[in-house]
Order: sequence, then structure tokens, then C-alpha cells
Amino acid sequence: MMARTHHPSNFFNTVLTASIEQVSPALRALSNGLKLALMTNAGRVGLSLIVVHLTLAFVGSWLAPYSATDFHLEHQLEAPSSQFWLGTDQFGRDILSRLMNGAGSIIAISLAGTLLGLALGTSVGLISAYVGGTLDDLIMRVMDGLMSFPTLLLALLVLTMAPPPEEWLPSWLAWNGLNVVLTIAIVFMPWVARVIRSATLPLKVAEFVQNARLRGEGTLYMIFVEILPNVFPVLVVEVSVRLSYAILLASSIGFLGLGIQPPSPDWGLMISEGRMFLVNAPWVALAPAVAISSLVVGVNLFSDGMRQAQKLPRTK
Amino acid sequence: MKKEPHSSTPLLELDRLAVTFYTPQGTVHAVRETSLKIQRGEVLGLVGESGCGKSTIAWAIMGYFQSLVRMEGTIRFKGKPFTKMLPSELRGLRGRRIAMVYQDVVSSLNPTMRVGPQLEEVLRENLNMGKQQARHRVIELFENVNLAEPERVGQRYPHELSGGMQQRVVIAMALACDPELLIMDEPTTGLDVTTEATILDLISELRQRVNAGIIWISHNLGIIARIADRIAVMYAGQIVEQAPVKALFRNPSHPYTVGLLNCVPGSTAITEARTKLATIPGTVYDSKQPTTDTCLFEPRCSIAQDSCKSGTPQFFDAGDHHQSRCSYWSDVRPDIWGKNEPVIEAPEQTKAKPLLTVTRLRHFYGREQHRIPFIGPVGLAPVRAVVDANFNVGPKQTVGIVGESGSGKSTVARNVVGLLSRSGGDIHLQGVLLEPRVEKRSRKHRAELGIIFQNPAAALNPKLHVRHAILRSLWKFPKLRGRVARERAAQLLESVGMDASYLGRLPSELSGGQQQRIALAAALAGDPQLIVADEPVSALDVSVQAQVLNLLREEQRNNDISYIFISHDLGVVRYMADEIIVLYAGHIAESGPANSILKPPSHPYTETLLSAIPVPDPEVTPSRIRLDGPVPSLRQIFKGCFFAGRCPRKIGPVCDGVMPPTVANPNSPSHIIYCHIPLEQLSEIQTTSTGL
Amino acid sequence: MTRFFVRRLILIVLTLFVVSIAIFAVTTVLPGDVAQVILGKGATPQDVETLRNELGLNRPAYSQYMGWIGGIVQGDLGDSLYLRRPIAELLQSRLTNSLVLAVFAFFVAIPSAVLVGIWAGTHRDSRTDRVMSTMSMVAISLPEFVTGMLLIVILSSTLHLLPSSSMMLPGTSPLTRPQILIMPALTLTGVIFGYVMRMTRANVIEVLQCNYVRTAILKGLPMQRVILHHVVPNAILPTITIVAASIGWLLGGLIVVEVVFAYPGLGRLLLGAVETRDVPLLQITTLIIAATFTFSNLAADLLCAVLDRRVRLS
Repeated sequence: MMARTHHPSNFFNTVLTASIEQVSPALRALSNGLKLALMTNAGRVGLSLIVVHLTLAFVGSWLAPYSATDFHLEHQLEAPSSQFWLGTDQFGRDILSRLMNGAGSIIAISLAGTLLGLALGTSVGLISAYVGGTLDDLIMRVMDGLMSFPTLLLALLVLTMAPPPEEWLPSWLAWNGLNVVLTIAIVFMPWVARVIRSATLPLKVAEFVQNARLRGEGTLYMIFVEILPNVFPVLVVEVSVRLSYAILLASSIGFLGLGIQPPSPDWGLMISEGRMFLVNAPWVALAPAVAISSLVVGVNLFSDGMRQAQKLPRTK
Repeated sequence: MKKEPHSSTPLLELDRLAVTFYTPQGTVHAVRETSLKIQRGEVLGLVGESGCGKSTIAWAIMGYFQSLVRMEGTIRFKGKPFTKMLPSELRGLRGRRIAMVYQDVVSSLNPTMRVGPQLEEVLRENLNMGKQQARHRVIELFENVNLAEPERVGQRYPHELSGGMQQRVVIAMALACDPELLIMDEPTTGLDVTTEATILDLISELRQRVNAGIIWISHNLGIIARIADRIAVMYAGQIVEQAPVKALFRNPSHPYTVGLLNCVPGSTAITEARTKLATIPGTVYDSKQPTTDTCLFEPRCSIAQDSCKSGTPQFFDAGDHHQSRCSYWSDVRPDIWGKNEPVIEAPEQTKAKPLLTVTRLRHFYGREQHRIPFIGPVGLAPVRAVVDANFNVGPKQTVGIVGESGSGKSTVARNVVGLLSRSGGDIHLQGVLLEPRVEKRSRKHRAELGIIFQNPAAALNPKLHVRHAILRSLWKFPKLRGRVARERAAQLLESVGMDASYLGRLPSELSGGQQQRIALAAALAGDPQLIVADEPVSALDVSVQAQVLNLLREEQRNNDISYIFISHDLGVVRYMADEIIVLYAGHIAESGPANSILKPPSHPYTETLLSAIPVPDPEVTPSRIRLDGPVPSLRQIFKGCFFAGRCPRKIGPVCDGVMPPTVANPNSPSHIIYCHIPLEQLSEIQTTSTGL
Repeated sequence: MTRFFVRRLILIVLTLFVVSIAIFAVTTVLPGDVAQVILGKGATPQDVETLRNELGLNRPAYSQYMGWIGGIVQGDLGDSLYLRRPIAELLQSRLTNSLVLAVFAFFVAIPSAVLVGIWAGTHRDSRTDRVMSTMSMVAISLPEFVTGMLLIVILSSTLHLLPSSSMMLPGTSPLTRPQILIMPALTLTGVIFGYVMRMTRANVIEVLQCNYVRTAILKGLPMQRVILHHVVPNAILPTITIVAASIGWLLGGLIVVEVVFAYPGLGRLLLGAVETRDVPLLQITTLIIAATFTFSNLAADLLCAVLDRRVRLS
């Protein structure tokens, strides 16, 4: 009789095949999502907004006319002018430069948080659904528990209590946005897990999975080679939806002063600081407000476009 | 009955109707050019395979499309074109003068509304009836469609009714305003054969009373033969042949019609000797292809000439009201798709040592009830899906399992291969006891038992290339990999009639028939002794069905495989199987050699099944032995005979109280019937009443 | 029905149990010593140790938890570390203030969002639908603090219609000066209105494509009747779940909105507890918000079950 054990080499083999087999379905799902989004006006507008912001994020710090942290004390709270296109703040810092420098961090934080949350949630959801039984019950109760916190509240809890990165990470890794990334990931995990679980349950009994059982495939192979590629389309939609929540969450965290610490430019924090000058110098708060909102609008339009196109009638 | 002013003008006329859909995936030419006429009191059968445009015609008449669509041509109702009608006039037609019965009944009824009010609102809105009047009329309508307890059915929600009852409600709804034209879009597809038969009976009875024109859309020639006066056969969005029903069956004049008639197993009387199925090669003309200036059937046609490629053929008169769209209609013979050769029957192999032995197999879904003091049992009793099934499969033999939905046939299949673990009984393969769960079985045992599923699209991982399934099986079973495996994979594909280039395709790029061939190739990769085929052709178009059935038989001969062949279609089982098992409510009703099973004496359930099958021959008078009453709950334990509640031949209290005995047919000792009625008596009533 | 109810209730108790453990775990057991957090980085190890003993942190985790949850069940919420007052006392006015704001926003936003959503869904792609959909899309894309700020700039700084801050004297009720409620409530409304309206619209569109709506249309019913009797009853079921989920948004938004308008509610109290590392206060305020959300989900489930007979069967 053949015993079904997992030899290390067998495991390695599985992981290797799994990763190779994933590449093409993952790319297909991504390009399909992009193609779908581009079929609608909403998707096209959204994508262009995203591209503008991404460009800012990558090259903003080089293109910025001034340093983000330099004080121009003789130019405090100046209105937009040819010298300072978007005006200056209470320390005379150039707002445009601060915006351009801050784009990178908010996009990096939200994207990293989303992807990490997705990875965690997907693994939990897949395993919970596939293994089933008591483990499934246990995992889903914990997820229910996490989901009974409004997202911002859970984020605050985690952020308050997590030690700052420099205390538990080597200094070269201790980026001070890391805690926000982890927070977003933890907050998103149960929601993603639930979506993926319900997408997995019908796949678990699908005939192709039954065929794989008859071949004698192991659990890992089943989950990561047979089932995972079939949830990619769900994941692509989930990324686009979650990303906009992540940006909102990250900026709210910044606004409440719990995100990246000053003087690094954080859009949420810039708004929070600019609120004091709302009457006399509204541009200080409004410029980052427009920046955040246009980014979220862009992401939302993109994901709307994608979902609209998915629902268009198809043949067969 | 009012006299119509212009009795000569047809009730409905389609004049060169063409319907084109514009979808993101491309343009779909659903209906290419179709002209039809229908008179009041006439039943027109519209036949064709999936994607030939027959449902689109229905939606065009109803004026209901959800996507971007272009309609050309004219639809006239009593001579008046739709285009000349005011929107209010058109709305007045819908529901009142033209009504429709839908294919997917379950989804056609509002789930949050009781069925009574769903009918009452039609009467109140369209006929301005008062509340009380409408309620009485609804009860009448329910009586008309033979619903049991017509006063109380209206109080129920759709999900509380069985499929057959839901369909009756929808029919009653369509009849509510006494329509002049009734469109029936595959109204029995998805229902069990026995339920289908009762619905067909109902319609044949109603058409005498209603005096409406009926357009009956179906893919099943048998149903059309039973119900229609005139038939129009559709292919690729065009009508290819149109004729009165008897003329069409007696003298089909389009190659496609002949193909359709020949490739359906059981199209000749089921009890006759099997003949090899003729097949139409290739697949149905793609509706995304533009209309070309040729005969659209030419690529598949066996009598095509060069001239078929130039110019669309016109209708030719092939007799009295008989039109064919084939330039060579006079050359069309019944044998153009190959002679119907009798199949060589395998000799009975009762002496050979069986390959698979199934003894007292049981499968219950759900846990046993707990009994709590004072409160009683908690939870539902388990569903007894299969109870004490015994059967053998010999080497190179095909055992057919036939039964309706819920009879437990798929459960048997999944227990044999180990996808479900049995609740009791033993399964031996070549004398070795098999573990219940496939995960515990040895590699050898897993390799020796293959399975083919009903839905070929789901059997292949939709996100992975075709080669994945085959190469993985080759790696898991014969431990082949690399070049050797690829060569073997190519060989396997060739054996199922495909070439190696398909290895790099995704399942979605293949047609249903091709997918099923790949599934067969993957099942063959382990070099199995026995393949369990669970409804392998019921998701396929009829013209493709025959190809797959013939392929299965060919592989059986070449590789010495045995099959457990499961189907709800007795005709298909008859074509494939050497031995047949008839399942009802988880119990075997009858089992034995195929040719003996289909002749009297039969179990009364087998008899109703046989009588329910619509035979595609209008000159056969259908026998009417019908099932009564509700489907029994599988949660109960039968005290007497499992069939007693619905048996048309019930003889008395013995049926309800005592388990039926095991009776062997003296003419064929391996033929076993579980019935209280003495066999001689069964034999006698069955030969006299049904003419089987 | 009773069985369904009992099952849901058991599930809720379980969930609340998980929630309380999660709160407790995050605040006391996870890395990061509460005593250290409270005293700051400059504290000596002795000080930390003394405080740990004082707070009972040296007891095993489960006994700490049992003490805490046992107190709550008996009505003893403990004392605030920073404000040195019983938490129950602190909560009184704050809880009512937040409740007033949330209820006000909820009853403005939800009915209007559902109605507009149904209208937009049944008039898909009309000009009004496009305008409404675009507006709701913008509404969900703006963080609460941006919406709030825009309102201040427009209604307060420019038009001088409303006070820019919603500060109140302790002990006064917001109902005595309803004008201070308007902007915070509008901000909250904006967020959930957009979300609920979009989802309702999507549900309506989905139901419109169902076969039974097709049946209703082809029966010859007037469109109005089709929408009222066939579309709305079926679209409202998934909408109820959406509304319950939106309460989560509402409660999260409450925290930010109270900061923006300096409104003395539960959210500000919670944020204060975060800033002062007032763990007991943080635990209780969090538990209240989480429990509110849990119970609104339960209410939605039960409402769905009452309206839809099929749910109860499964």
C-alpha cells in the first residue's frame, strides 16, 4: 500500500509546480481584468487618474521643485503663485513638493497593505474552505469576531498596541509606514478570507477537483494548483475594491496622527495640520484633500469599470 | 368561440426575420433568415440543437431582449406588422393574446410571492377582474392543468412545489387570459421523463380545448413527434426543412434532418436490436460566423457537392406542404449517414469472474438523528440515497444504470470510485476489498477505476491547459514524465480523435464534445479496467452525443474496458449497455441483461419509464402508463415496496406492508425483478395493454 | 423560526466572546507591555514592575480576562487610568451624544439612499441615474474628514450659516442646539448614503435581469406594478444586509467626524484613550462599538428571515 506522506522533496516539487502553474493563469486574470476595465469609460478615466498618481509616486520626489521638508520662513502660508504653484504651509514649505513626495508613501502603504491582506486572507479562506469541518468553523468564528469591529476601529486598536517597527526590526527594515501596512493587512484579512472561502466552496466539489482526488493529489497541490487559479478573477476584483478602502483607511490613520510621523509628508496628516488655517489659507488643507480624493476616485472608477464590463452580456 | 374576420390570414407570420446580437465578445447571428406561418389551432414544432436560434425567435415574438440587438424582417400578428403597432397595442398583446411558457421554470416564478397572487394579478391587470372573481378563476385554471388540491396550491411559494407542479403553474399562468398564440420554449427540459410525459399528456388534452396556435420549441424530436402538427427544423439560424409531422418523419428531405433522426439512440423502437448510431461529423455552425453565400450545412454534409459552396439554397418543394432547403433534396436517403448496422451483441458473460462486485451498498447523507428525552428526535433523518444495492460488472462488459433524478445513480457511481465513502456494504475489485475513500485506496486501485462526469466543462480545470489533466494523470499513474509522457499524451489524444495541438489549449476554447473527448483521454491515461461514466452525453448536443457514444464503444473494444454507464435516458443506456439496472428511490427495481429487461415482464416502474419516453415516430400511439402522486421522501424507511406509493399496477395492502420478493425471470435467470406481482401476470398485462 | 432565532443567538454570543477575547488580547497580551506603554520610554524597570502589579498584569492571562469580563457582566466597567474616574460615569453623556448623531445620520441616509437606489436602478442609464451614480461615487471616494472640511469651508467659512465647531458644554444635550448636529450628520450621511445607494442600485439591476421579472413583464403587467411587486421585494433582501454593513462604516466614520467637528462623543473618548494609553477605557469603548455592530448585523439577519421564507429553511 502506498502511504500518503509528504516527503520534503515531494513538498518542494509541489511548491515548484504550483508556482510555475500559477504564472499564466495569474497573468491571464490580470490582463483580462485590465482589458475589461478598458472596455468602459469609467475604467479608462480611472486608469488615467491612477497612472498620473503612479507617475507622481515614482518620479515625484525627483521632479519636485523644492525639498519636502525645507522651511521657507519668509513665505509662510502664501497663496498659490508662480513661485509656489500650490502655495505654502505654516512653515513656508512648498505644498506641491510635499504632495509629490507624499504620493509614493500613501500608494506604497495602501498597495502593500492590500496585497499582504489579500495574501493572508486568500490563504486562510482557501484552507478553511478546503479542509472544512471543525477547523473551518473555528477559523470562521475568529474571522466573524474580527469583522465585528468597524474597520477603522480595528485599525486603531492594532496600531495603538503594536510596538513601533524600530523596536522589533533591524534599522534598515524599520520603515515607519510598516505598522500601517500590517494594520491594513490584518483589517482586510477576514473580509478577503470570507470572499475567497465562498468562492472556494463550490470549487471544492467541482468535477475537476474530484478528478484530482482520484489521481491522488495532496492537499497543498489541490489548494494551490487546482483551486487557486480559479479564484484569481475574484482576487483581481478584490484588489481593486480593497485598494480604495486601503487608501481611505491609510489617509484616515494619517489624519488621526497615527500614521507616518512628521516631518515626512503624509497626505492625511497634511490635511489634519491644514485644518487650523482653513479660513485664511484653505489651500493648505484642500490641496492634499484633492490629491487623496482624485486617487480614490481613480481606483473606484477603475474597479467599477471592471465590474460593469464583467456583467455585460456574453455569448455562452 | 368568436369567428375570426380573416380566417385565411395566418395568426402569426414571420417574414424573413433576422436577429443579430452585438456583444462585447462579438456579433452573434442568432437568427439568420427565417420565415414561418402559424394558424390558429395548429401546433408548430420548432426543432434544432442548441444555438440554432429557436429560442431567439420566441423572444423576438415577445419583443423581449436585454442586450443590444438588431431585428430585420417583419413579424405580423393577424396580418398586422408589429412595426405598425403602437407601444400600448404591443403591450396589450403580451400576456393577453400571446403568452409564453418558459424553459427554466424555477427561476421564472417570483420566489417571494405566493403562486396564487402571481396568477391573480394577470387576471386583474389584463381582464380587470375583481379580487374574488380572480381568485375563483385561478382555482379553475389550477383545476384545468390537473394540479392536485387546486384551492390550496395558490397559498404556496414556488420553492414549495415540485418541478412538475411549477411547470403546471406556469402553464396555467399562460392560459389565464385565453391567449390566441402560445409559445412553449422547451417546457419539459429539466424535468424527469415521467413528469415530462404527464406534462405532454396535459398539453395534448388542453390543445383540444384552447384552440390557440402553439409554437413548441424543443431539441427533442420525440416530443415534437408526439405533440406537433407541423415541424420546422432549424440549423444555424435558418429553417432547413418544414413539413407536416408525418411527412417529415416518413420522408425527411434534408440531410440534417436525416442525421438528427438517425443519431438519436432509441429513435427506432427501443426494444428492437441495437444498431450502430449514425453520426454527423463536426460541430454545429458557430453563430458568430457571418452568413456566407453557401449552404451553411455544407461543411458537415455527407452528400455535399461543389455547387453547395456557391449560392444559398432556396426552398424546394418536396411534396405536399413539404419544403427542404437542400438543392439535392431528392437524393436524400435514410442511409446517407451510413448504414444502420446491427451491433454485435456480446455473449452473456455470467460465467466469467466478475471484475467489480458490489454487495449491499448503502449510502446515507446526513447524520443519524439524536433522540433527546421528552423532546424527541433532533435534526432530520438521513437521506437514504442508496439502499442495499447488489450488482456485478464483468470484464469488458457495460452495465447501464438508469433512473430519474434522485434515484441514487450518481451516488452509486461516486461510491464505486471512492469520491463518497459508503455507509455500508462492500465493493470488491477483482476480489480485493476497496477502501471506501479514494484517499485511502492504493495507487493501483485508483488507476484501475476511472470516471467521466456529466459536465465536461467542469471536469477539466478551466484555468489550466488541456495537457495539465493528461500529463498529471500520466505522472501519477504510470509514472511517466518528460518526453515519454508528452508522446503518450499525444497518442491518447489521437485515440480519441484529436491531435496533439489541443494539448496547449484551454478547455474554454473547445466545444462540449471535444471537452468530453479530453476527459475520456485523461481517464484512459491510468490504463483503467473500469470507467464509470456518469451521464457522459446528457450535456451534449444530439448530433455530438452519437459521436461520443460511438467513441466510448470503440475505446471499450480497443482497451478491454468495462463501463458502468449511468443515464436518465433509457434509449442511450439501451444503446450502450449489456446489462441494465433500473434504480428508483435508492432501490434497485430490476436488473438483468438488456434485451430481457426491455421486454415483458418488467417491473412496473420500468414499464412507466418505457411508456414515458417520447418516441420520434408520430405513427406510434403512445401508451399511457403514468406515475401518480408525489416523489417519496428518501428520509423514510420503506415498510413495504419502495414503489408502492406511485405504482400504477399496485395490487393491494401487500405492496404497502411487505418488502417485495426477489423474483428471477424464468426465461433469463440473471434477470431479477423486485415485485409482488407474479411474473406471468405482469407479462400478460404488459403485453396486452402496452403493445411493447 | 424559533430554531433559526436560537441558532443566531448562540452564534452572536460566540462572536461577542471572540470579540472580547480579541480586544483583551490586543490590549494586554500581545507584545508591548501595557505598563511600559502607559509610563513611556523613560520609566525605570522598578516603576514598570510596580505598575504591573498594581494593574494585576502579573496574573495569568486567563485569570485577568475572567476578572475583566466578569466585571463587565456584573455591570462594573472599571476605572479610567488617565482620568481616574469610573468608566460608566464617563460614558453616560458621550454615549447619548454619539447615539443622537448616529441615529440622526442613519435615519436620514438609509431611507433616502434606498429610495434613490431603487429609482436609479429602475431608470438605469438615464441622465438622472448618471448624475446620482457619479455623485455617490464621489461621495464614497472622499474620506470623512475631507467631506467635513468641505462642508466647513462652504457652510461655515463662506456662507456663515452654521458654526464650524460642534463643541458643547459638559452636561448639555446636543438636542438643545440642533444646528451643531447638522454638519457632522451630513458628513456621516454622505459616506453611507453613497455606499448604500450604489449597492441598492446594483441589487435592483440584478433583480431586473432575473427570469421572474421577465415573466412579470411578459405577463403584460404595467411596469410600475412589476417594479413594486416583483423587483423591490426581491431587491430589498440583500439590501438589508448592506445596510447592516454600512453601520460599520457609520461607527468608524463617527470617530473621524467627532474629531473634525470637535463633537464630544464616544469616538473622541476612544481616541483620547488611544492617545493617553488608557487601556481600560479603550477596551470598554471598543467593546461597545463592536457589540453595536454585531447586534445590528443580528437585527438584519432576523429581518431577512422574517421577510424571506427560504432563509429559514436552509
